[in-house]
Amino acid sequence: MEEKKLPDVLKKETSRRDFLRGTATAAGSALAITAIGGIAPKKAEAQYSVQGVPGTPPYAQKYRFAERHNCTGCRSCEFACSLFHTGNVRPALSRIYITKYKDMVDVPVMCWHCDDAPCIAACPTTPKAIQKDAKTNGIVLNEKICLGAKCMKCQEACPAKYIRGNPDTGQPLICDLCGGDPQCVKACQEQSGNPQGPCLMGRPVGIGVNMAYRSVTPEEAGKDLANLLFYPNVEGKRVVPAKSKTKKGR
Amino acid sequence: MATPKGGNFGKVLEIDLSKQTFKTRPVSDEILQQYIGGRGLGAYYAVTEYKAGKNALDEDAFVFVGPGPLSGTTKKPVWLSIVNDKVEFKDASKMWGKTTDETHEMMVKEMKDPEIRTAVIGPAGENGVPYSCIIVERYRAAARSGTGMVFGDKKLKGFAVRGTKYAVPVADNAKFLAAAKVNKDNNVRREAWEGIKRWGTGGLMELKHYLHGSLIVKNYQTTWFPDVVKIGGEEAARTFWKRHASCTNCPTHCLKLGVIRSGKYAGMVAEGPEYESGGLLGSNLGMTKFDEMIALIEACDAYGLDNISTGGVLAFTTEAVEKGALKPTDLDGLKPKWNDGDTYMEMIRKIAYQEGKAGKLMAKGVRKMSKEIGKGSEAYANHTKGKELAAHDPRGDKIRAYSYTMGTCGGDHHEGQGPQALGMTAMADSLCICSFTNFLVYGAGTDKIITDMLNPLCGWNWKPEDYWTTAKRIFTAERVFNVREGISSKDDRLPIRMYKEKLPAGPRKDVIFTDADQKDMETKTYGFFGWDAKGIPTEATLKAYGLDYLIADVNAAKKKYNL
Ligand code: SF4
Ligand code: SF4
Ligand code: SF4
Ligand code: SF4
Repeated sequence: MEEKKLPDVLKKETSRRDFLRGTATAAGSALAITAIGGIAPKKAEAQYSVQGVPGTPPYAQKYRFAERHNCTGCRSCEFACSLFHTGNVRPALSRIYITKYKDMVDVPVMCWHCDDAPCIAACPTTPKAIQKDAKTNGIVLNEKICLGAKCMKCQEACPAKYIRGNPDTGQPLICDLCGGDPQCVKACQEQSGNPQGPCLMGRPVGIGVNMAYRSVTPEEAGKDLANLLFYPNVEGKRVVPAKSKTKKGR
Repeated sequence: MATPKGGNFGKVLEIDLSKQTFKTRPVSDEILQQYIGGRGLGAYYAVTEYKAGKNALDEDAFVFVGPGPLSGTTKKPVWLSIVNDKVEFKDASKMWGKTTDETHEMMVKEMKDPEIRTAVIGPAGENGVPYSCIIVERYRAAARSGTGMVFGDKKLKGFAVRGTKYAVPVADNAKFLAAAKVNKDNNVRREAWEGIKRWGTGGLMELKHYLHGSLIVKNYQTTWFPDVVKIGGEEAARTFWKRHASCTNCPTHCLKLGVIRSGKYAGMVAEGPEYESGGLLGSNLGMTKFDEMIALIEACDAYGLDNISTGGVLAFTTEAVEKGALKPTDLDGLKPKWNDGDTYMEMIRKIAYQEGKAGKLMAKGVRKMSKEIGKGSEAYANHTKGKELAAHDPRGDKIRAYSYTMGTCGGDHHEGQGPQALGMTAMADSLCICSFTNFLVYGAGTDKIITDMLNPLCGWNWKPEDYWTTAKRIFTAERVFNVREGISSKDDRLPIRMYKEKLPAGPRKDVIFTDADQKDMETKTYGFFGWDAKGIPTEATLKAYGLDYLIADVNAAKKKYNL
C-alpha cells in the first residue's frame, strides 16, 4: 500500500520538513537520502559506504542513532562524554544519559540533531545561545550568552525531552557531537560484547529518521522496549511471591 | 597525616542510627596506601575497632558499606537517602514487611528520581534470617555473610544514593588515562570477558557438568545431571533471556534478564540463572523445570535471601528427609522431594518469615540444623566454617577448595582459586573493581596493570611488588580477625562428604578430595601468606606487613584457644 503512495509524495511539491515527515519509514528512508541538503545520489552513496567506521575522516559523524534494545545500561557513554568535555569522569555532566524504565530496561536519552532544531528556534537570546555548527551538525552552547536555569526554553521545546541542566551552572547540557567524532559512540562500541551489537552508532547522514526518533520521549521508548522484550509483562509488574500468612515483619 | 592526592576523597561517612546523626571521618593517605578501600578498609576497621568476640548484632556494631561505616540501632524502622553531601533519615514503617522490589520502587517514587541507586533488605533481613542479604538495584545481592540480618536488627530498611556533584580527583590525569587505556585494551574483546558478556555465568552450568565434573547435584551427591540441558544457559538463551544488562557503570553486562511467557509463572521477569543461583536452586534440588527454578531464584531476590545458602538448606533438608533424619512432622507437614518446585517455594517463604517449626529450623542454616537434628546428618551437611558451599563441587574442581576453605568468610566460591588468587581477590575487592574482569582476564599481568593505574590516580609510587604486599597485608589482617575467634587450620576444611564419598558418575567419576590434596593446599596457602603450619600468621609476617599492632591479639588467641 505504501509503495503505491510513495510516487505521489515525491511528485508533490513539499517543504523539506513535510517531506521528511511523510517518509520517515524504513521504506521511505533510502529515498530520503537524496533529498537531505540536496546531496546528489552518487555522493550520498559514497558517504554511505564509510558508515560503521565512526569518525573516519573526512566524513564527520553528523547524526547518531540508537539500537535501543541493545543498550545494556553500562553508562560507558556517560563516562566518555563527561571525560571528553570536562577532563573528568562525572556522569552528571554527560551530554547523553541513561534512564531506567520500571527497572527492566535502560533507555539512552540523547540529542537527535533535528534538522529543524526546535531547541534553537525557542532560544530567546540574540544572537542565539545555542547554534548548530554547520560543519559537524553538533549544537554548540555559548555560555556567555545563555540565560541558564531561569530560562531553559530550549528544554521545554525539545520534543525528545532530552535536555537537562548542568548541576553547577544551571545551563543546558547539549550535544556538540564532539566536533564530528562522537566519543559516546566509540565507548559504546568498545563495551559491546558478543553477541550484542553496540547500541549507539554514528552516521554521516540522518536519512530523515532522526526526526522521527526525536518525537519519542524516554518514557515512551521505555514502554516500547518493555513491550518488545518482556511481553506479556508490559507493565514491568513483578510477580511477587506470597507474603507471610501469620505475621508482618517482626 | 597526609590527605590523599587522588583516587579518593580522603573521608568516610559515618552514620549513627541511634542518634540519627552523621559525620565524616578523615582517612589518611598512609592508611589508604596500606588498605586501599572497600574490603581492605573494612578489614582495617574490623581489626582495630573491634575486640575479639564482637557480636555483629551489638548495638554499636557497624556495617561497613563500600567506603563508609554505619552503626547504632534505631527503634523505628528507617531508611537513608544520601544525595551528594546530605544524609536524611526517613521513616520506613510503611516499607517494613515489603519485598525488595517493592521497597526499591517506593524509594524511587519518594525521591522522584529514577537515577537513584538503592540497597535494601527484604522480609528475610527484617526477620533475622542469618543468611539474608542486601539487594542492590533489584536483581543484585550483597550476600553470603548475613548483612541483611544486621540491617534488619538495626531496623534499617536500606538506603538510596545519588551523587552529581563531584568527580573523583585524579593526581595525574594524562598518565592515568594512558594507563587506563592499556587496562581497557587488555580487557576489551578478551575471550574470558566476552564469555561472561554472552552467557553471564549461566553458561557455566553446561561447562561444569560436561567437562569439569563439578556441577553440584542433589546436595552434592553427584556431579552428573544430564537434565542440565533443561535448566542451563542454552535453554535460558533460547527461551528465556531477553536482555543483557549491566549494573550501573560496569561494562560487563553479565546480568541476563528474561520473562516467562506461559504457564503458572507467566509474566515473571527475573534475572538468571547465574551459575550459582542455577546450581543451588536448580541442579542441587534436582530441578528439571526451568520456570519453577527461575521462580525460586526470583523469590529469594524478592525476600532478600542468599540464593546459595537457601539452596544449600533446601537440599540438605531434602536429603535429611530422604534419609529419615527429618520427618514431615518436623517441617509443618511439608514433604520436600527433589524437583518439587512448589514445596521448595513454600519452604523459601517459611524461611523468609521464620514461619512455623519448619521456617525456624531451616532459617538456622545447615551447620546448626545438622547439630540439632543429629542422626548422622553431619555426613551430608555441606558447609565450611558454618557457611553453605557454593555450586562448585570441590572434588571435580579441586582448586576451588582454596576459595571455600582458605577464604576469609568460609564456603565462598569467589575468594580466589589458589594462593595468589586469594590475594588478588582481596585486592580487587579493596579497589572496588570487578574480580571477573580483573585477574580472570589480566592473569599474570595484573600487578603491573593495576599499579600503573593506581600511581597516577592516587599520586603513589608503587612498584608491582607493593601490589602483592598489600594483598597479603589485607588478607592477613582478615585472618587475624578470624584467629582472634579461634579459627585455625582445623577449620580450613571442606565438608566431610568431599573426603569420604567418591563421585559416583560424570567426567570425574571416582574422584575424592584426598588428605594429600588438603595438605598441599594448606602448605601452599600458609606458605604464600607467611602463616605457620596451623594457619596462624607468624610474628615476623605481621611485622613485615606493618601489622605489628595485631601481634598481641594473635598471641592472646593462641593462648586462649591453644593454637
Ligand atoms: S533532540 Fe532536542 S536538543 Fe536535540 S536538536 Fe532536537 S530539539 Fe534540539
Ligand atoms: S537556557 Fe540558554 S540555550 Fe536554552 S533557551 Fe535559554 S538562553 Fe537559550
Ligand atoms: S556525541 Fe559527544 S557530546 Fe554528544 S553525547 Fe556523545 S560524547 Fe557527548
Ligand atoms: S554505552 Fe551504549 S550500551 Fe552502554 S549505556 Fe551507553 S548507550 Fe547503553
